Amino acid sequence: MAPVDLAQNTLDGLMIGSSYALLAIGFTLIFGVMRRLNLAYGPTIMAGVYLGTAAFISFGAPSLIVLAIVIIGASLVGLYVERLCFRPFGEAARTASMVASFALWMQIEEAAMHMLPQHMNPFPPLLAAPPLEIGPLMLRADHLIMLAATLLLAGAVTYLLARTKLGLAIRAVIDQPRAAAIVGIHVERIMMLTFVLASAIGGFAGFLIAATDAQVTAMMGMWATTKGLVAMMLGGLGSVRGAIAGGLLLGVLEAHAQWFLGPQVRDMVAWGLLFVILAFWPGGLMGAKALDRTMAVGRRV
Amino acid sequence: MLDVQDIVTAYGKIEALKGVSLAAAEGRITCLLGPNGAGKTTLMYSIAGVLKPRRGAIRLGGVDITGQSPSAIVARGLALVPENRLVFPQMTVAENLEAGAYQRRDAAEVAVDIERMYARFPRLKERRTQLAGTLSGGEQQMLAVARALMSRPRILLLDEPSLGLAPLIVEEIFRIVGELNKDGVTIFLVEQNVHMALKVAHHFYLMEQGRVTFSGEPGKLAEDEVIQRAYLGTSRQASSHKTG
Amino acid sequence: MDTYVITVLSNIGMISFVALSAYILLLSGQISFGQQAYFGIGAYTAGIATVMWQWPIAGALVLGALAASAAAGLVGLATLRLSGIYFAMATLAFAEIMRIAAELFVYRREIGGIETGPDGIDGFRDIRYFFANDISPFQSCLIVYALLAAVLASLFIVERTRGGRLLRQVGEDPLLAEVQGIDVMRVRMAAALSAGAVAGLGGGLYAHLMTYVEPRSFDIMLGVHALAYGLIGGLGTALGPLLGVLIDIGLLESTRIFRGYRMIVFGGLVAVLLIVRPRGLLDEVAINRIRQALRRRRRAGG
Repeated sequence: MAPVDLAQNTLDGLMIGSSYALLAIGFTLIFGVMRRLNLAYGPTIMAGVYLGTAAFISFGAPSLIVLAIVIIGASLVGLYVERLCFRPFGEAARTASMVASFALWMQIEEAAMHMLPQHMNPFPPLLAAPPLEIGPLMLRADHLIMLAATLLLAGAVTYLLARTKLGLAIRAVIDQPRAAAIVGIHVERIMMLTFVLASAIGGFAGFLIAATDAQVTAMMGMWATTKGLVAMMLGGLGSVRGAIAGGLLLGVLEAHAQWFLGPQVRDMVAWGLLFVILAFWPGGLMGAKALDRTMAVGRRV
Repeated sequence: MLDVQDIVTAYGKIEALKGVSLAAAEGRITCLLGPNGAGKTTLMYSIAGVLKPRRGAIRLGGVDITGQSPSAIVARGLALVPENRLVFPQMTVAENLEAGAYQRRDAAEVAVDIERMYARFPRLKERRTQLAGTLSGGEQQMLAVARALMSRPRILLLDEPSLGLAPLIVEEIFRIVGELNKDGVTIFLVEQNVHMALKVAHHFYLMEQGRVTFSGEPGKLAEDEVIQRAYLGTSRQASSHKTG
Repeated sequence: MDTYVITVLSNIGMISFVALSAYILLLSGQISFGQQAYFGIGAYTAGIATVMWQWPIAGALVLGALAASAAAGLVGLATLRLSGIYFAMATLAFAEIMRIAAELFVYRREIGGIETGPDGIDGFRDIRYFFANDISPFQSCLIVYALLAAVLASLFIVERTRGGRLLRQVGEDPLLAEVQGIDVMRVRMAAALSAGAVAGLGGGLYAHLMTYVEPRSFDIMLGVHALAYGLIGGLGTALGPLLGVLIDIGLLESTRIFRGYRMIVFGGLVAVLLIVRPRGLLDEVAINRIRQALRRRRRAGG
């Protein structure tokens, strides 16, 4: 394989991987505070995106408005999921809450299909510009914007977590929820806020993806859940940095797999990778230390 | 200052506290002794709001705090140094202290307090950018106490601070407890180390199987009897253990 | 009997196999999002056996169950040490890998002048054994229920013996079971193998009743539903998952009340029910009460 192809695939992979990274961050935040997987996350994003799409189709809303609608929509649906699937369930019923989130997945997807029955719908594109050419490499301008936006958002999230009081509270709840309660942190409120924040981030990711594709399909919910989950697991459950790394890695691996083996194998890559990692290195990229902590968490699930 | 009346706390069907009444006088050091499984930690968690009692009342400074959330209770001036320290292992020492001051709004004063903690606990200052999970047991205990103090509590609850620590460190901890009390902090202390506890306590209680079985001043009971009851239960029970 | 009713009943019967498959694993304390893979393996294997290799139906069904069970065993070797979400994700990963593999799987042959066989994403058509052998829809429905009854009977027997107790012990508290000397891995493997076989058997039936299967038939939704049935119907008895299937397919589908809103209702129902009854309608507590009531009535009656 020519080095140009290698570089091009890697580049493409990083672009798409950045959206996976955002999805994974959302999953990770929720998993971190709730100690459970939110399987309605993908559909939550899809619902937000569909709301934006409806606004675009019905009223020709401009991109920025659509973005706002998507983010707010995803946040509201996320709140709904949190209330129904996570708030009512305590430590003892973790299984039940995960399955409940699966149930809401079905519910939200169907509701979204009622909103927009077509399998494929148009979405305001990010940028209508010709692709850039850097030497032999082709770079789509809108992909570049997506990558930049992702990095910005990831940076903002990291900043929030590392340097703000809210971030401290979120990390405390993720780290040791009982101690968080003892120092006076309102744990339930933090959980809810994190949930909504994660949903908003997901909405942003969904917007970016839909905008670079200039379309939205009914498979979005499933897609977002799949990629986000795998990226999160690749990077090691519960680590924001791992989520970003996992997302980027997944993107790159998929891009290469598609080049060599076709689109179906590309989809298999995500799952195959996940399976292999779970079978041999459940700790993901972040290694053994994360494994110990997350195994303890995972055991409780 | 702290008034506990007839608290019943249960885990499902099992009643861990069967009607506990005690009080911690303001400005004093009150100790709670008793064997493992007596319910001491359950009581601490019930007071701090982590567990909700089924019956009974808890009053702090005259205000009813029964069943309130931990964050509301912290706002009223109570701080708990929990059993097993429960530091935030993935956060640095400095962040742990910041977390302790979570409810405070005076950022400048918080920074001053953090420096004060470093002055009082120099080993924490050395390790302030280290992850709390990597500290030794004694250092984590210091950190847990310092973290609790960051909220400038009126009353400090300590659940078995000497557990698993070397005698020198235990002495240091109790010295600090004494100092804090002299500064005006009310102390309510659960302990297994009867000897040290009786040295500092102004008043103590014995608890067995979810009930308070003795209340008095150190000296009222001979120390060895206290030790026996704290580790083995009342003399009646101890002999029935012998006959099986 | 009305064809529509027969179809609905057959569906209930076949889906019950996957539901029972997920149920067995739930009892052993594992959440599997991937039992649909074994359903699919059973379907394709049994279909290939009758269509391409001219096997009799009984042999084909057995082969399907065995193939699925073997796959479950191999997957189990890699994953049974995992617990909780890790295991769930691994099962999901395997199921999706299988589904995508089915999209790539082409095995065509000329049988009786016509080219047939699995054709990748277009699926596997003309699994016409029942039609070719004059087995009516009604009779095939009976076959489904006869086999289902056999599976239920086996499960009931296992529940009452030491095996069943071990299974539930491992499910409730694997650490405690380990300490008590139970070989947790072996119990889990037994559960995985039998769950695979049950799903595979159901899949073989599905292929022959539907006469057409495609990779999409075995997607994550099937797995989710299978899990949900047990959790709604109850984990106290093997009849629990069946109750779940009945509620979903029987009521909602056949009465068409919530035409087009079925998922919305079903999904909401599951979520609410799980809040109120995390172990389902017929959970262990309920089953105990029913047993006691029956015992009392028996004593009073004779």
